[in-house]
Amino acid sequence: MTAQPAPTVDRDSRPWWEALARHEFVLQRCASCATWRWPARAICNRCGSFDWSWQPPSGQATVASWIVTRHAFLPGFEAPYVVLTARLAEQPDLLIPGGYDGPSDGAGLHIGGPLTVAYHDVTTDDGPWTLLRWRRTDMEGGSR
Amino acid sequence: MRDRTAIVGVGYTEFSKNSGVSTLTLALRAITAALDDAGLSRQDVDGVACHRVGDSVQAVLVAQSLGIKDLRYHLDLFGGGSTSHQVLASAAMAVTTGMADTVVCWRAINARSEFRMGGTGRAAPDTTEFQYQVPYGYATPPQQFAMQARAYLDAYNVKPEDLGRVAITQRNYAQQSPRAMMRKPLTMDDYLSSRWVVEPLRLFDCCLETDAAVALVVTSAERARDLARPPVLISAAAYGSGQTLFSNGGGNFATSAASTLAPRLFEMGGLTPGDVDVAELYDAFTPLVLLQLEDYGFCAKGEAAGFVADGQTAPGGRLPVNTHGGHLSEGYVHGLNHAAEAVTQLRGAAGARQVPDATVALSTAQPGYVAGTTSAVLLRADR
Repeated sequence: MTAQPAPTVDRDSRPWWEALARHEFVLQRCASCATWRWPARAICNRCGSFDWSWQPPSGQATVASWIVTRHAFLPGFEAPYVVLTARLAEQPDLLIPGGYDGPSDGAGLHIGGPLTVAYHDVTTDDGPWTLLRWRRTDMEGGSR
Repeated sequence: MRDRTAIVGVGYTEFSKNSGVSTLTLALRAITAALDDAGLSRQDVDGVACHRVGDSVQAVLVAQSLGIKDLRYHLDLFGGGSTSHQVLASAAMAVTTGMADTVVCWRAINARSEFRMGGTGRAAPDTTEFQYQVPYGYATPPQQFAMQARAYLDAYNVKPEDLGRVAITQRNYAQQSPRAMMRKPLTMDDYLSSRWVVEPLRLFDCCLETDAAVALVVTSAERARDLARPPVLISAAAYGSGQTLFSNGGGNFATSAASTLAPRLFEMGGLTPGDVDVAELYDAFTPLVLLQLEDYGFCAKGEAAGFVADGQTAPGGRLPVNTHGGHLSEGYVHGLNHAAEAVTQLRGAAGARQVPDATVALSTAQPGYVAGTTSAVLLRADR
């Protein structure tokens, strides 16, 4: 099987991917107005400040949406698999896609359901990388 | 800009699964057909405009191939379906300002045989945000729009049958169009038993990637009145707005850029949703039709599924929608075949699928989830 593709990192996003490789989930936070932002940008789109730092959010989120890919479109992936969009607890406009640490058919997922951040070390066509893999936190009772 | 420009020519190539020719050749064929339709020649053209995502010939190369010696306006817009009607809007601006007299607009794609959208048959398009999708096996349009669709279906309790009715209504129209790629009748059983592509989208929720080109000729309303065809005025054109599938200050997938663009579009045209006789709504995937019925103001949020179920988008309904069969059944030319059908309807030349007395048409682009913008035009028969 062909290796899955690595991200095409840019100069703004490199520190984010490097943090992920250390299993650290960080976001930019505006030094002026404290707005969180993602993906990486030089400017705060709320107050216009260029001052910011990388900071760890809580890692808590909810399901904004998810999909189950039933048809293998891309080399390196075997269907079915889930991709979900997480809405971070810190701000309702923080939407981040990622993989899912759960059943490959997405059974049990529902919009608004609670998630926590987790990490997935993978081998890509560009060597080892770490990706996001969201985990449900409402799975007691063996729903998996 | 209201009513100062007109679409005077429409041209198509054949719609197929394998054109066997380059996108340059497709563009030249469609443009020539559109000029013939208008009663114009290559010598009349002084502007060219297209959109593409690294999958089609450059606009200027088309101009040079046509023998245009003094090109006065050219637009080579990077973008997918969301920018389709921006090409028309920009051409109308160029003519309105006097920068150009006659602009040909086109989209030429071998979307089936050469460059399939979003990574099959080629590298993913060069956009910054793909780095956050591709590593998860998430890069193709069915996946991106399934992500949007799930949130929309959940927000308004929209059922699979509601999406099926969109596909079936459009297939019924396609049966009245000799150009349509898919004319076989579609039943609800066919729809519901079709395979999943990306949940919650089934096969018949997805459009038909097609090899084709469509071209439209834009010139001044004044000149249009001396040409071969009944003029179809560009009453309004708008582009912009939007949110993406990522953070950008938005965050609600159940509404779209169309909701912010629509009011200024209608205001520019001096029109209201109630004035629209026929709508050609970008339909790469069925949920986009429901979403736009709401976001362009034809229904309140959550009411589009009922509007379709009541037959309001079918022949004889309050608002016939996608009378050519749309991307789902006519073919996928990335937005411009919608504008071409709108023109045909307003000319009264749509044959068996003609909406009686159609005077005002809305034609729209992808409502703006991937790139975060959309575009649309309001057209009016000049009579």
